[in-house]
Parts: sequence; C-alpha cells; structure tokens
Amino acid sequence: MAFFVRFWGTRGSIPTPGRSSYRYGGNTSCVEIRNGETLFICDGGTGLRELGQDLIRRQSAPLTGHFLFSHMHWDHIQGFPFFAPAYRPDNTFYIYGTSAGDKRFHSLLSGQMRSSYFPVDFSELNAHVASTDLGDSGARLIDGVLVRCFEQRHPGGSYAYSLEKDGRKVVYATDNELDLTLEDIELPKRDPAAPRLLPSRFVEFCRGADLLIADGQYTDGEYLLYAGWGHARATTVVDLAMQAGVKQLAIYHHDPMQSDRDVELKIEVCRQRVARFGSPLFVFAAREGVELKLD
Amino acid sequence: MSGVGRVGDTTGQMFKDIGALTGENEIPVIPVQDLSRPCVLQQVRGPQAPQLFELVKDVLIVGRAEDADIRVPSTSLSRRHLRLERGQGTYRAIDLDSANGLYLNEVRVHSAVLRDGDNLQLGNAVFLFHEGK
Repeated sequence: MAFFVRFWGTRGSIPTPGRSSYRYGGNTSCVEIRNGETLFICDGGTGLRELGQDLIRRQSAPLTGHFLFSHMHWDHIQGFPFFAPAYRPDNTFYIYGTSAGDKRFHSLLSGQMRSSYFPVDFSELNAHVASTDLGDSGARLIDGVLVRCFEQRHPGGSYAYSLEKDGRKVVYATDNELDLTLEDIELPKRDPAAPRLLPSRFVEFCRGADLLIADGQYTDGEYLLYAGWGHARATTVVDLAMQAGVKQLAIYHHDPMQSDRDVELKIEVCRQRVARFGSPLFVFAAREGVELKLD
Repeated sequence: MSGVGRVGDTTGQMFKDIGALTGENEIPVIPVQDLSRPCVLQQVRGPQAPQLFELVKDVLIVGRAEDADIRVPSTSLSRRHLRLERGQGTYRAIDLDSANGLYLNEVRVHSAVLRDGDNLQLGNAVFLFHEGK
C-alpha cells in the first residue's frame, strides 16, 4: 500500500508569512504521512492548524492519528492548540514517547496549554489524547507500519523517525546538526567538495529510503554563522542521502531568513553536489501544499 | 465616461475630501470586477501549443478524453490525467493515477496547491500556471 506524504509546514524556527515565502510556505514543521487509513503526523508546528481543518473537511467519521514529535521546541508544537480535530469527541490521538514509559512529549505538549500560555486547558480537549510509546527497542508496528526512532544531535535532543511498509520507506529527520556528527568535523572547512562521512548507524537508519525529509536549514555560508544552533547545512544532508542510497531527498526546515529564491538557490547547490558525485539521488525543496505518493 | 464616476457614497468619502482639497470633484472609479482576472493555464509545449486556458470552473479535468475540460490529444496523457480544484484563491492539481504522472517544477507529485509561475508537466505537454486576482 502506498505512502502519501503531504507537507503542511516546511519552515524552521518561526512562522514566516508574506510574499517572500509565498511559494515554499511560511508555516512551521508539520508533515502528514498516510498509509491506507492510518494517519501519522510528524510534528505539530503551525502547519498543523491547516492540516486539522483539512482533516475535518475530508473525513466525518471518528479519526485516529499517531503523533511523532521530533522534539518540543516551539516551532514543532505551536500548532497543536489550534488543531481542531483535538476538540472533537470520538477522535483519538496518540502521542508517542521514544522508549517504554516515556511520557515526556505528552507532558510537555499539555504544558503549553496551561492558562499562562493558552486560554484552553489541555484537559478540556474533547478528543482522547493519549500517551503511548515505541517501546524499549524504539520500534513499534502501528497498523502494519514499522515505526522506528533515532536520537539526533540538537540542543535538548531530537528524534528522527522511519516508517516502513511493503518495501516502502519514509524517513522524517528534522532538527539535526549533522555536521557535528561527521567522522571528520573539520573536513568541510579544509575541502568543501570532499565527501563527508556520516555515522554508519544513522546512514543505516536512512538506508534505502524512498523519501528522506531532512533538516537542511542552512546554506554553506549560513552554517559558518550558525554552527552549534542545532541545524544542518543542506550540502551535508545531500552526503547523508547519497551514502544511504536514498531515492528522493526533501530539504526541509527552511531558514526563516530565506526567501523563495534563496531556497531555490540552496537546492541548486545541492543538485550540483549530487551531479558532481554522479549520484542518482533526486533533491528538491519541501514545499507547503505538496503531496507525494510513494508506491 | 466609462470607468469614471462621481464619488458620492460613504466609501468614497476620503477621496471626496481629497477632491475638495485639490479642487477636483471627479476621480476615476474602476469597478472591482474589472480588476479581477481568472487563473490561467498556459500550454507551452505539446500538441496544439501554445494556447491559453482561462480557469473559470471550480473543477476541471485535463486529459486526452473527448470530454476533458482541457483536452490534449496525446497518448502520453491519460484520458483523465489531472483534476484542478479551485480553493483559497488558487487551484489544487491532483494526479488522477495517470500512467505518466504529474510533475510540478520537475518533482513528481500526487497533488499540489499551485502557485504563480508553476511548471506542470503531463506526458509531453507542459503548462505554466498563472494565478488570477
């Protein structure tokens, strides 16, 4: 059965409405992944509000959704209080922890809906919003979809998720400063054109993905200014994807200072790098409102 | 004079006041409907190109079928290849499980909210989307 992947928010850090972000979108992180009737929601940035409206438009029956949060920074949770399906009885949403008994994400998510922050308390949501987890192994079969997590490099921590079924694989890996995980951290400075070796465990986690959605917030120039802020430079993500034999790479979590034109230039540099290595990898910019079918 | 009218209602009060200041009592009023224009699909490559299609219906079908709203007589297109649905001031393009797929700016997509200047490829036909006002 095919995976359908739709981008509802592709911007990093803070919502960026306006003409300069008109094409790629200004909402923060949110991706819908469907497999048959099973709905996964990766992150709840401001894009989640529009996903909620769309879910209500397209489905009148009770809804079940599985939330996979990368982490709890604002740009990944701000949409949740405005997620209309959470206010409807009969709907059920699961918030996944990454190990057995891990309720951190559920707890932090509910914490942003206290009166000091938001007028509606989490306890007033009419839907059933339950905490569950991926177990000790960090992997769980959900409606036949194998979901696995991987801890990434980001201030405060973050997780990537892989979803697999029927030989198809999608990896969602945002907010991950890949450059700090390189086997040779200084290499990009010494020789920007040389291949950058990523940790084999993460390469294997991404191995053979039909689609890798990955934080590629910065251009090479921007990364020099923002190293240590927790995000990847797009060209290093390209190397990860090539080493892992990924088919399509969606560069995601665009920097809020990047205009549509800047995003396109960032992708062009990535494509030049792919061409230099003779890889079949296809790179594109994640764009709000675009839906892919992986079958 | 066509497109020119005397401003006398409350919505024109500000302009009227300006008119009083400048000594001009008549200013051009352009009816709103004259400023609006529909979205357009411009076929730039493929059979019968170049041609323009104004998108006035809420739902349109593009394909090689005789009854398609936008017909492209090419076997590289499916009979019903693409559906365009109006919403929020633009259109959403949805691939109808076509044999050769829908490419948006070279990316194979299942569906997409269209933006001004988008390039859509369906088989050997290429269209540019122009957003309306």
